[in-house]
Amino acid sequence: MSDAVLVIGGGPAGMEAARSVADLGSRVVMVEKRDRLGGTPDEAGYAALTPSFESAEEALDRMRAGVVDRPEVTLHLGSTVVEASGEAGSFSVTLQNAKGERVTEEVGAVILATGFQHFDPGRETQMYGYYEHEDVITLVDAEKMLKAHEFVRPSTGEKPRNVAFIQCVGSRDRRIGNEYCSKVCCGISSKQAIEVRRLVPDAKVYIFYIDMRMYGYWENQIYWPAQEEYNVNYIRGIVTEVVKKGDRLLMKGEDTTMGRPMEVLMDVIVLAVGMEPSLGTRSIASIFGVPQNKYGFIEVPGEPMDAVTTGVSGIYVAGAAAGPKDLEDTVSMAGAAAVKAVGLLRAKAKGAA
Amino acid sequence: MTLAPNSYTEIPYEEKKRLFDEMRADPRYQDHLYGCYECGICVAACPSARFYDFSPRKIAQALARQDVELIYEQLNDDIWNCSQCFSCTRCPRGNNPGGLITVMREVAVNNGLGSARDALEGYGRVVYKIMGTGTQVSPDMLQPNAFPDWGPHVKEISDHLDVWRRALPPETLHTTTTAWQVDDRTITELYFIWHATGVMEMIEEVDEGLYEILNDVMEDVLEDAGFDDL
Repeated sequence: MSDAVLVIGGGPAGMEAARSVADLGSRVVMVEKRDRLGGTPDEAGYAALTPSFESAEEALDRMRAGVVDRPEVTLHLGSTVVEASGEAGSFSVTLQNAKGERVTEEVGAVILATGFQHFDPGRETQMYGYYEHEDVITLVDAEKMLKAHEFVRPSTGEKPRNVAFIQCVGSRDRRIGNEYCSKVCCGISSKQAIEVRRLVPDAKVYIFYIDMRMYGYWENQIYWPAQEEYNVNYIRGIVTEVVKKGDRLLMKGEDTTMGRPMEVLMDVIVLAVGMEPSLGTRSIASIFGVPQNKYGFIEVPGEPMDAVTTGVSGIYVAGAAAGPKDLEDTVSMAGAAAVKAVGLLRAKAKGAA
Repeated sequence: MTLAPNSYTEIPYEEKKRLFDEMRADPRYQDHLYGCYECGICVAACPSARFYDFSPRKIAQALARQDVELIYEQLNDDIWNCSQCFSCTRCPRGNNPGGLITVMREVAVNNGLGSARDALEGYGRVVYKIMGTGTQVSPDMLQPNAFPDWGPHVKEISDHLDVWRRALPPETLHTTTTAWQVDDRTITELYFIWHATGVMEMIEEVDEGLYEILNDVMEDVLEDAGFDDL
């Protein structure tokens, strides 16, 4: 029997789970495949968080401070889980670093925080030409420019006149196999649209959407200001095709508001790519034998009242490893998973005594 | 930039933009337009939308998009289908499409747009009556042939209009050419208001004939009252 919790993944979910377990007084073994903590927001270089516009780097630094240099936390950076056996209360887990060195840790409970990856727009079923046209980019590419406080046409380096966001790329699409909504892209596109309007006040910015999904306070924090203060144009209708015309991009779709077909020229087109399970999420599920749903995310059978318990006793999940999540959901799940994991350790210890 | 296919291509973009800027400069405009999320409640509540190819949602949406071409198209083809009942003000975002249309109509009239002339053509007599007398429907408009839907007794009443009117207790209603007696001072003030507030200029833009007639009617009255330099 072990008194430690293994946290797999060093993004926001993993960091918050590790901090919570440590705050509850239990030992944490934390594994992260990259050489630094921060996860996808760090790796992809997020600039400003939605909806607060707070610096992502500063927010991640605060989270890192919750786990590093703590006596309760053993950190394995640049390492992955390669083997696991055992059951709730006594798992034996083998970790391996880049040099191939292995170490085995005994833990009583596991929190999977292996996250998501951005949808690859090369797989979309429309014809947006992400790999053909330089000026067709993703939210991730746009975020990199915004982090440098600029927004230009990648092909020319000039400021764009017309900018379009296309929503639901890789989400809500039966043909791709991702029938779910990725939850955060509407808010992130709207946040970026505001940033583009601030950086390039002369640019017209359009968001082409199926439904805008900005629940709760995101409505008045992001959506309404984008429309009312920054004149971002929301056009209901999904673009079917992007073709090159001269040195600009011709977008074809339907303007369903006005009930007309539409062909317009754009300078930059931003694809709002959704979430898919990361490779880490897929591989960790098979290593631990944790059931996945049809999309490859970790299944959470007790939803909606239990958002973190997986199909394997003693193994919990936090964040986007369990499906599309915003950061609020991610850190809330991390706290809940930490409580359940520590609770399990204590129940086992009591049972053994 | 516009999402609309080309229409009214004979009108230069700058002219369409000038009219849009005139709408936006109206002090009511900012209070009438926030953002639109296309819920359609304005269309659901709109009586005109049931009978015409008309949508207050499209008006609000085009203005929110600042789509100059589309707005010009609406200025010509759509705004006169609104009945100005303001049922659309139940908008959850606080938009007032009817109020936006009021602003658009004023821009259309003030700039003598063809659509404004066409729309107002049938109202010359009503405008003349209101501006000339200060009252709209007068008893002598009750002609047997004019309003057959009012029923067969209209002929009987119209034969002795002055008698019927004298039967009404208030003396101010003992009139047949106006709805009630309008005293001279009121008429003078009214004529002054039409001139001073730019209504006469508006009428001149859309109906020059009517303008001439009204001017003739008002001239002497205003001169006698000492407003001869209008």
